[in-house]
Amino acid sequence: MSRLRRKSRTRARLSVDNERCELFGICEWEAPALFELGRDGRLRYRRQPAAGELTQAAAAARCCPMQAIELRGGDDE
Amino acid sequence: MSDGDRIVIVGAGVAGLRAAERLRELGFDGELVIIGDEARKPYHRPSVSKQLVMGTARPSDMTLHAYTDLDARWRLGTRATHLDTAERVVHLPGVEQLWYDGLVIATGVVPRHLPGAMRHDPRVRVLRTVDDALAVRRALAASTRPAVVIGTGLIGCEFAASMRQLGRDVTLVGHARAPLYRFGPAIADSVSRLLAGHRAKLAMKSEIRHWISTKETFGLHLTNNQLVVASCVVLAIGSVPAVDWLRGSGLDISDGVLCEPTLFAEGADDVVVAGDTARWPNLRFDEVPRRVEHWLNAVESARAAAESLLAGRAAATPFTPLPRAWSSLYDVRLQMAGLPALAEDTVQLDRDVTGFVRAGELVGVCTWDRPHAMMRWTAELERRLPAPATTPAPAHAASTAGITRLATV
Repeated sequence: MSRLRRKSRTRARLSVDNERCELFGICEWEAPALFELGRDGRLRYRRQPAAGELTQAAAAARCCPMQAIELRGGDDE
Repeated sequence: MSDGDRIVIVGAGVAGLRAAERLRELGFDGELVIIGDEARKPYHRPSVSKQLVMGTARPSDMTLHAYTDLDARWRLGTRATHLDTAERVVHLPGVEQLWYDGLVIATGVVPRHLPGAMRHDPRVRVLRTVDDALAVRRALAASTRPAVVIGTGLIGCEFAASMRQLGRDVTLVGHARAPLYRFGPAIADSVSRLLAGHRAKLAMKSEIRHWISTKETFGLHLTNNQLVVASCVVLAIGSVPAVDWLRGSGLDISDGVLCEPTLFAEGADDVVVAGDTARWPNLRFDEVPRRVEHWLNAVESARAAAESLLAGRAAATPFTPLPRAWSSLYDVRLQMAGLPALAEDTVQLDRDVTGFVRAGELVGVCTWDRPHAMMRWTAELERRLPAPATTPAPAHAASTAGITRLATV
């Protein structure tokens, strides 16, 4: 259980690799508060998810068809 | 499961990884052992027929990341040989036995064999693993002849697109009317036009009559009387569950592993199944057990299987996803939601949006490069096919729950 209770030391950061991203919009489905596939076909996202949004952020990163989303920090790393 | 317990995960693909991740997220503090037959940590398998076979990415670029500390013991390059559910032991090569308190089966599928295919020839390959992609690249490097792919499903089409992007000639051979025909005539038509537009050759409604192999050349004589001389032949005619090692385990392995709605293996108290191998009734649709061979289902079922295992068989809740899938061909995004395979009929819902209908009810949607439309239609499918209440309602409350559900259908 210790790994779950440990306090976050770093602020989580999201980034998307534009070379990989093919704009499927799966991230928006998983984390609508953080990602938006715009009408112009461009992906907009918040680079600093709040502590309460980390579950969503990880779901988006896990489900990305191109594995283009990187989520760093926000846990005990 | 409690401290000191050991959970063994057989299968080190995306399902094995995501099951391990979820077990740790939920606080499982015991020993975690992950067994994989490939000598690699979990990687992004969809890249095999695209970036890896094209050589635009290295295998190490495709390693999957865990979003929590797994603290697992990896037994890679190791194939489980047998399961004894009574003794709760997984057998490994060299008479090694690994006991478990909980077991996750995530062995996935293996490519289907084509009877008569010269599988011993190094120019005849399948596309499932990193090693397969590297072998195809070696065959391509040895000859400038065209590539041939047998099978016109997603892998076959993706491979053909990869070949054209490399500037290689490619012929697709399939006995269907058109590539990806199971996604309806409109999508199949779009795929045919896209492939032809990029000058991939299509030999549909045909199969191989003769294999012709000499040291220098390799050829195929097709039933449409065409003769294709090839640098390599890729077999992409579907896959079968990798469950040979479960023979004699007592589990039902008639098509994958038969599961309860919660992904517990039918009749087992300590075995759950995740990914392509699991054949379970998705109560969102009906009570018929089915397998779903899609990457996102491997992710979601693995998390659900981990949750079930920790909750225990009595308290576990049914896994009722709305399946989603995707593929890309050149710059076209092909996306699916629901269970198109259940449909008796298709309808055109919008431009490049095909609906799949069973008994007057929408059960699936497929879009051709319409990601926004896919999000809208996925939401619409969720509204029309709501997941049943997660806890089985006790008898006295069943009537109200049933009525609520009927009203929303």
